[in-house]
Amino acid sequence: MLRYDSTSSSAGSSSGSLSSSSSSSKPPQQDIDGLLAGAGYKVRSSELRQVAQRLERLETAMGNSPADFSQLASDAILYNPSDLACWVDSLLTEFAEPPPTCSSDFIVDPVNNQTVVNSAWTAAEPHTPQVHQNITYDEQQSLDNQLTVVTAMEEDSGIRLVHMLMTCAECVQSGDLSLAASLIDDMQGLLTHVNTVCGIGKVAGHFIDALSRRIFQGMGGGSVNGGSAFENEILYHHFYEACPYLKFAHFTANQAILEAFDGHDCVHVVDFNLMHGLQWPALIQALALRPGGPPLLRLTGIGPPSPDGRDSLREIGLRLAELARSVNVRFAFRGVAASRLEDVKPWMLQVNPKEAVAVNSIMQLHRLLGSEQTRNSPIDTVLSWIRGLNPKIMTVVEQEANHNQPGFLDRFTEALYYYSTMFDSLEACRVQPEKALAEIYIQREIGNVVSCEGSARVERHEPLAKWRRRLSGAGFRALHLGSNAFKQASMLLTLFSAEGYSVEENEGCLSLGWHSSPLIAASAWQAVPAWDNHMSSS
Amino acid sequence: MVENHRREDHETGGENKEKRPKFFINDHVDILIEILERLDGRSLCVAASVCRLWCTIARNDSLWENLCFSHVSPPPSSVRSVVLALGGYKRLYTGCVRPVRSRLGRVRRASWARDEVQLSLSLFCVDYYERLGGSNSNGRLVEKSSPSSLMFLCKPVNV
Repeated sequence: MLRYDSTSSSAGSSSGSLSSSSSSSKPPQQDIDGLLAGAGYKVRSSELRQVAQRLERLETAMGNSPADFSQLASDAILYNPSDLACWVDSLLTEFAEPPPTCSSDFIVDPVNNQTVVNSAWTAAEPHTPQVHQNITYDEQQSLDNQLTVVTAMEEDSGIRLVHMLMTCAECVQSGDLSLAASLIDDMQGLLTHVNTVCGIGKVAGHFIDALSRRIFQGMGGGSVNGGSAFENEILYHHFYEACPYLKFAHFTANQAILEAFDGHDCVHVVDFNLMHGLQWPALIQALALRPGGPPLLRLTGIGPPSPDGRDSLREIGLRLAELARSVNVRFAFRGVAASRLEDVKPWMLQVNPKEAVAVNSIMQLHRLLGSEQTRNSPIDTVLSWIRGLNPKIMTVVEQEANHNQPGFLDRFTEALYYYSTMFDSLEACRVQPEKALAEIYIQREIGNVVSCEGSARVERHEPLAKWRRRLSGAGFRALHLGSNAFKQASMLLTLFSAEGYSVEENEGCLSLGWHSSPLIAASAWQAVPAWDNHMSSS
Repeated sequence: MVENHRREDHETGGENKEKRPKFFINDHVDILIEILERLDGRSLCVAASVCRLWCTIARNDSLWENLCFSHVSPPPSSVRSVVLALGGYKRLYTGCVRPVRSRLGRVRRASWARDEVQLSLSLFCVDYYERLGGSNSNGRLVEKSSPSSLMFLCKPVNV
């Protein structure tokens, strides 16, 4: 279709149009593109492509002949810019652009063309949620546009879900539970329109579940914490396999511990959460190969007591001992069964004053935080006896998130953002069933953050800056993690996936994130010598 | 000429000195080892399927040791006992070193060669530990029959 035929002047002045033959019938109202109409431009939907091409040509022409600008400014006849098609035509003729002879001149790169159209869609989206349906394009364009329409609708539903989640959280915070409950119903209905296999739909589903549990079952936690220790270990193990966060934590902590143990012949590691002991084989191997030979390694693993009489801690200890024996490292293991970290007393660890001690806490310290900041809160007690052990190093790995704020809405918002990012990163994992079980592991965390309160809420994540203040106030000073740890972490991440994950160094601490949103942070600390016993007021 | 060849086929000792003596590589195992030592991993695996003699030689762990440390200076001798205890160099190479090297190949810097091997060793050790758990079927950790801590190396991960 030649461009002159398609141009027809609508109601309005537009005298500059060189359209020769055009029928001057008014275009039917519904053919006007709705989104651009919202911005004040009248363009027929059927002409969008040509107008876009002509706009591009106009831009090139303007760029090529800047001298004509002044002429335009002074001699311009005022064309009606709301009739975009005619306006562009007239400006093009001002630049003395020769009219094209055939439509083949308009073979603009369809990709570029598409982007012009797409930006029209996305730009107008916040204003008019209704999607423009009646578009007549040639086949290829219409197919692409249908896809854009579908994506726009899904994006739209996703955005609405997020808004509704926020509103529901606000209702919960203000106590309006009936409205919150009705919102839950609406959201569950909306979920059927959204793809729940990936993306916002999946995360939203988990948050809706957690909110409904909070509203309907109270804040005791219910089934969220009801998982047995055995189940938790399995989920943890799959979380370890599916994504690099725990591997990053283990390898970084091991590197720091290895460097701290340099030159010592008797070393003692205290692990605050032994689980399957997956962190320690690498350290044992590194100690076996260190120049000067391996030290005597003692490992004290803390873990929950196992039901039905089985001693899971001892089993892990035996496995680690077998590994240590294979590589000729003198090894001794001790298990301390405690359901809460604050129940552990330093005498249970049996630390020998002559040995170098390392304390290793992978996502355990945040469990000691309570919502009230009392003087002798569990965190202070534990930190003070750690200090009493005078460890050569304390490695702390914590989620880089602010999930311990007193206000529910703030906490909810933070958690929504944090776990969306984490689920995004999990998309990269192709290994099943690890991925599904890892998701359940994360889902339990979400449930605890959102639906539990008081002592039931143990996932009280705090960001690294807060931990720095807290640990400095408790008599620790930061140790820099060093370039070896950074190099190792970078290599490890590259193994998982070349894009997406990123390691950042921040004042000696390393943080692992997804597309530069930090998700987990590792730091190392040492007790400051000659610390006064009275607590500083801070 | 043809008669001479025929005669040689039937003779075992090869008393008649031919102008062109036949050379059969399998008669010279030391040369064979020298050649196989210089192959890359894939070629070595292919070589192992040529004949029984080659298979036996290719299974020799020292060949794989050379492969593991081909890009770095020779490691201290203590490494060998550790690696052998954890499962041997062939397993280390096929399970860890090769995938690590190929994954990091895109972004590798020259200084990483030694660290690659060290990282491979650590991952290898975790894998050995998991295999230990699988064999001690005590009812707790037999969820997976095969260790999976290296699975992220086997399956390429694309975002």
